[in-house]
Amino acid sequence: MAERRIPAKIAAALGVRAGEGATAVLFFLYFFLITAPFSIVKSVRDASYLDDIGVRHLPWAYATAALVAGAVAVHARLQARLERRRLLVGSLVFFAATALLFRALFALDWPGITLLYWLWANIFVVVLTTQFWFLVNDRFDPREAKRLVGFLGSGGILGGIAGGLLTGFLAEPGRPENLLFAAAALLAVGAAALTALFRRLENASPGVPLRPAAAPAAAGFVDSYRTVRGDPYLRALAGLVILAGIVSTFIDWQSKAIIDTVPSAKVNLAAFFGQFNAGLLLLTFVFQLVLTSRFLGRFGLRRALMVYPLALLLCSGGVAAWPLLGWALAVKGADKAFSYSIHQSSRELLYIPVPADRKYRAKIFIDMFLNRFSKTIGAGLLLFLFLLPGGHNIRVVSAASAVFLVLWLALNVRIGRAYGRAVNDRLGEKWEPGEGLLTELADPDTAKTILDALESRRRSPSLYALHLYEMAREGRLTPDILRFLDEENAALGPAASHPLLDEAGPVWIPGPETEIVSAGAEIREILALPQYQNLMNDYASRVLRDGVGDETARMELAKAVGLMDPRSPLAARVDDLLTDASPEVVHIAVASAGKLRRRESVPLLLAKLSDPRVRADAAEALIGYGAAVAGTLGDGLLDPAESPDARRRMAAILSETPGQDAVDALLDALAEGNADIDRDVIDALDRLRARDPELRFAPEIVRAAAGRELARLSASRTRADGWWLFKLLGLLDRHEEFVRAGQNFAGGTEREAAYALELVDHVLPLEWKEKVLPVLERLARAEKGR
Amino acid sequence: MTITKRQKNDVVIFDVDGEIKRSDITDITLHDLVKSALEEGRRFILLNFEKVGFIDSFGVGEILASYISTHNLGGKLKLARISKKLFLIFQVTMLTKVLDIFEDEDAALQSFRD
Repeated sequence: MAERRIPAKIAAALGVRAGEGATAVLFFLYFFLITAPFSIVKSVRDASYLDDIGVRHLPWAYATAALVAGAVAVHARLQARLERRRLLVGSLVFFAATALLFRALFALDWPGITLLYWLWANIFVVVLTTQFWFLVNDRFDPREAKRLVGFLGSGGILGGIAGGLLTGFLAEPGRPENLLFAAAALLAVGAAALTALFRRLENASPGVPLRPAAAPAAAGFVDSYRTVRGDPYLRALAGLVILAGIVSTFIDWQSKAIIDTVPSAKVNLAAFFGQFNAGLLLLTFVFQLVLTSRFLGRFGLRRALMVYPLALLLCSGGVAAWPLLGWALAVKGADKAFSYSIHQSSRELLYIPVPADRKYRAKIFIDMFLNRFSKTIGAGLLLFLFLLPGGHNIRVVSAASAVFLVLWLALNVRIGRAYGRAVNDRLGEKWEPGEGLLTELADPDTAKTILDALESRRRSPSLYALHLYEMAREGRLTPDILRFLDEENAALGPAASHPLLDEAGPVWIPGPETEIVSAGAEIREILALPQYQNLMNDYASRVLRDGVGDETARMELAKAVGLMDPRSPLAARVDDLLTDASPEVVHIAVASAGKLRRRESVPLLLAKLSDPRVRADAAEALIGYGAAVAGTLGDGLLDPAESPDARRRMAAILSETPGQDAVDALLDALAEGNADIDRDVIDALDRLRARDPELRFAPEIVRAAAGRELARLSASRTRADGWWLFKLLGLLDRHEEFVRAGQNFAGGTEREAAYALELVDHVLPLEWKEKVLPVLERLARAEKGR
Repeated sequence: MTITKRQKNDVVIFDVDGEIKRSDITDITLHDLVKSALEEGRRFILLNFEKVGFIDSFGVGEILASYISTHNLGGKLKLARISKKLFLIFQVTMLTKVLDIFEDEDAALQSFRD
């Protein structure tokens, strides 16, 4: 029985699947035991600062965020040196110990301790929260992360609630620092929970390090900065963090400025903030648990990114119009509710497609440093505003917030597009089409011709000579091949066994292959002579009439007619030879018909598509006709009298026939919906689309076929079967992206398949997404479970 | 010609015995058998030619068609124990750049894991 640890119905509501329960719960607990103590730490921070220093000097506290850079640099070096488990567990132990240290320092009443504590609290939340998301990035692919982020993130929010309630319950007026004992205890429990989580992760993947192999050997702060600066996508993420931090700082000041004027709140500020945060977080918790993943799943990441700034824009407007406690709580509430839920979750998801070596460097700079430094920037801007006449006015600060919020919304539009490109970049081309690979890198036709030539050598000198002449005429009798033929001839034994010698006569023609090459022009002239044509036409009549038992003579004739002018009377003999009883004769006749390309031969060649002995040859011959046979092949595709195998070959031939006629013929067959040939028709359309993006593919036919393919997939249990659905989607739009996604889904690892699904999620219109994604995700799960 | 199918781990092995020539085939060809294996979800195919005495251009066409069908589904098709003559023809026509050819079955099977 697959392990769950969460009741089935609850697990389903939370997006937790079988086998994930224990891991998800431990992640939940880990995040809970970071944010619960932080809620306490933060309440102590706010209360002690407002008590000791006052709200007018808050911007100076915000400015200390710049000093977080030093801690980030230290963390970056530790991250590069220590394995993940030691770093993360060690960090929890470190902050538990320093919490107790600050408790002692507060008792000594040293000046400056409040500001130092503020800095420590900033480092606390930056380091521990970022470390949590590092681990999430290590463990989950984009689909898993999207599905579970609601549940995992809610652990953090519940921790905040619990911490807030605990603060409200335990806080003593005037002695907020005693709460640090509780914070330290929670951190110690967190270290134990994290150890259990690592044990579980290591057992699930023994020997697989929980740090990507590409992690940097030394990821210093400067290196992290350069990584972000050099990547447009990461720069956009950095911009997002900066704007969010500025706005959050402005909003924090607005709300605190209003709260500070309310007498009932000032009596016990620590308790007030504790209870306020707890109440706020309860709302956030419900939203995160119930709505975040659902919103992301239904509306996608692009829309999810817009929720937070739009909510703040609305509430900031309220504060500007009515600067009362209600709006202060509303704007602060919106800030925290959406920041900790949908915004945090969406922001973390934006990192997932970034390659590991850049991701962890970028997170160091963006999440650990910039996340805090943005508060410094916000503080600086606030201080600048305060210098202006009326700058302390809440309405002025609201207007400034609005400007940054509009910039933020515009940036989100860019990031949404860039995310799709980043996901696409993770989908490498898994394989090139095999047909192209063979012809680009090798010469398969010559390989077959050499074998035919060697075989013909056993039968007749004339047939061998004809093969050599044809190869020479087509420029395929290269020095390497000549050498090979010489060696083969030598291997036959004494000169008397040479194919071009009279068995009874002396050796008199050394190196016939090269002689034929040099005599090419003369031979061509002879073949064109009217006298030669008449003479050989008579000979052909005798062979076909009298030579029924002489297979070799008919083979020679079939070869010879292929060398003629298509309009010559001798060329017309190919049709008689196409209906010969001998597959060897027909094989050569089909090749000749392909060279002559006479319309009269087409029906005969089509008939050969059902003969397994020569069907490949017939297909090749028909390809040579090009668009001229597209209509005939289209008729054949729709003809129920034709065998499925022949119809499949017709589809393959059309795929090699460039032009809209071939596409239309294939679409007519696709519209008919025949399960025997549908996938071959889809393959053919895909090949045509790959060669010529200008071709038109009737969307209604393709969509109907996609609907049938979805129904067909309901009975499947392998990802490989999903390949044709991706090809159909690619015919409608974004061909290259869907083909690569299809390759990764059908033939890639589980993680590659997840990226393929993520691309589908990101680019498909909503109505298609709701049909396609459940089917593909079921296939991925079915294969995983096998 | 007879073709027998066996499996080692996740590799399907087709042992071809006899002569591969167009005049001798039945309705089911080597390519047909490979396609059946692909339809069953198999993606690693090995063709063993140890007991093939003769192969003509039809046989080469079957090999190449089987390679294309396997490759286009993201699979791998490899050859083992082909004759020296066939190997030389593949070499002179650059097919050795595309096809994976091995002298023995064990080496071929190992290569699927690499």
